Amino acid sequence: MKAAIRHLRRNRGRTILTLLAVLIPVYFLVSMFGLTNSIVSDMFETATRIDTGHFQIRHIERRGMGAAIPLMHDSKSVLAALDKIDGIEWRTVRLDMPALASAGDRSQAVYVQGVIPEEIAPISSIRDLVVKGTYLKNGQNGAVIGEELAALLNVGVGDQIVLLGAHPETGLGALKVPVVGIYRAPISAMGRTVIHTTLTTARRLARSPNAATAVVVRVSGVTGPWDVGKIEAVTAQLKGLLPDDVEVLDWRKLAPQVSGYMAILRPVMIIFAAIFFGLGALVVLNTLYLSVMERTRELGLIIALGASRWRVMGMILTEAGLITVIGAVCGALIGVALAWIVEALGGIPLPGAELADYMKVVGMKPVLHMMISWPQVVISAAAMVGVAVLAAWFPAYRASKLEPVEAMRYVE
Amino acid sequence: MSNSKALIQTIDLHKTYKTEAVETPALNGVSIELHVGEFTAVAGPSGSGKSTLLHLLGGLDRPTSGEIFLEGVALSGLSKDQLARLRMTNIGFVFQAYNLIPVLTVLENTAFVLELQGVVRAERIKRARKILAELGIEQYADQYPSRISGGEQQRVAVARAVVAEPSIVLADEPTANLDTATSHELIDLMRRLNEEKGATFLFATHDSRLLDRVSRLITIVDGLITEDEKKHDPSAE
Repeated sequence: MKAAIRHLRRNRGRTILTLLAVLIPVYFLVSMFGLTNSIVSDMFETATRIDTGHFQIRHIERRGMGAAIPLMHDSKSVLAALDKIDGIEWRTVRLDMPALASAGDRSQAVYVQGVIPEEIAPISSIRDLVVKGTYLKNGQNGAVIGEELAALLNVGVGDQIVLLGAHPETGLGALKVPVVGIYRAPISAMGRTVIHTTLTTARRLARSPNAATAVVVRVSGVTGPWDVGKIEAVTAQLKGLLPDDVEVLDWRKLAPQVSGYMAILRPVMIIFAAIFFGLGALVVLNTLYLSVMERTRELGLIIALGASRWRVMGMILTEAGLITVIGAVCGALIGVALAWIVEALGGIPLPGAELADYMKVVGMKPVLHMMISWPQVVISAAAMVGVAVLAAWFPAYRASKLEPVEAMRYVE
Repeated sequence: MSNSKALIQTIDLHKTYKTEAVETPALNGVSIELHVGEFTAVAGPSGSGKSTLLHLLGGLDRPTSGEIFLEGVALSGLSKDQLARLRMTNIGFVFQAYNLIPVLTVLENTAFVLELQGVVRAERIKRARKILAELGIEQYADQYPSRISGGEQQRVAVARAVVAEPSIVLADEPTANLDTATSHELIDLMRRLNEEKGATFLFATHDSRLLDRVSRLITIVDGLITEDEKKHDPSAE
């Protein structure tokens, strides 16, 4: 070990190059993981807070429903089942249905979400997004619409809009409701299409006084899309407690765009990691190989004095292990430190209104955050060390195979 | 020559170096015996095969044909790892140049073979310091090779060669790069180790300063022994 340290100190330029070859991939990966964790977490929070919850209990899918969700007429038995199990943070009943919103000669296809205002706050952040007027109150006949829809229909707070509901099970229903609030949606498509009314109003639109389409549930302690196990643990408790005609759908099925993004992200990160690690490994291989070439006579002497080939390999691999561990630890620490600095500064605001608008379209905040996951940091560093030591195997093997007489005659 | 059992015996040793187009014979049938306590030189002009002979005797290379016995063990039957172990335990080497490991201190270089043998640190440091003191170079123990002269480096190489008390020390042109005074000092040192400790030395050299001091002189020309002259028997003193 002492000799390995001295060799590394003797060839400082090469040592620094090898160190950087390991440090930079680890630093990049840790930073990229931090950014993607934050992006995925943003998308997950947007989807689960505003729309899907962590899971929903719905009537089993029926054919011929189009964009409509089948109606449940006995949501009380579902709520009773949820009251019997642990791990529920909040739940509420909702009635979602497609409709046509119109004002004057303008109209827009929308999706009405009938909610219980006093229950919706912990599940949906839409109450906090209201920028004009107020959010709904219990029993109030009114609608909260997005800025985009308000612009499309050319209406403001206090104006009336007509909702024409069409559910395959109940037929057409029409209501005139005043706009009580306008919200700023995190996703522009949402602002154009999602209208909140009270559950009572939505039931009138659906012409069914007990109807609901879902019981929306949030699970305690879920911090991001990676906490699938906690959600599954809760839904597993529901087996046998729910009526036969309902099913449990978790956020992955309800927000396939988020789970789809995550599914794409994994292979992308693996490809990035492979490229970074591959480049790092090539530099490690190259520098160590050069080092072995330079030290051919010295290694020949060591072999001549009786060192076994395993010992010679061990010497080279010890050097490689030492430098790669130092490089990987430094890379990980720099990545973590950068994340801390970014978070301390409140994130990195994206430059330009267009980019911010695009982020909004895909459901992300226009400020980049870095969310560090320690298992990812450790795995990134350990994987780089593993790959680098593997790359060092070839020069180490070559060193162990040197013929002492030829090696000692070697002239650089 | 002693009548005792041979420390090293070679039988009809041949070595031919082959490249793609050319075969170059280096040894053409060398049969010798070396005995414990001898202070022997193999002399001859450049390219005569003396270094090749040393390399073969030291298990650093393998003969094309013929056999070498070290303390009765046939080297041809040993694997690479077994040969490495044999070199580590039975043979001390002094080379013409590039003798020391540059990142190790004089003390660590001296103790290196003991480290390979698995001797515990305290013991190997003690033994290395002792031999350095005996050879008068203890003051350089903590110096790196680059900080001491060529003559001092060769002394350290001799210290390393004898510290593990091998059966034989093989020295390939040990004085070739040294000035006259330093050469004499080194030769005196090795002679003293031979006489006082009974260390067996075999040199490949054409340095007359060294040839004058050996007890047995084997002359080799074109890969064949032309003369084997007993000059002085230290054990008879």
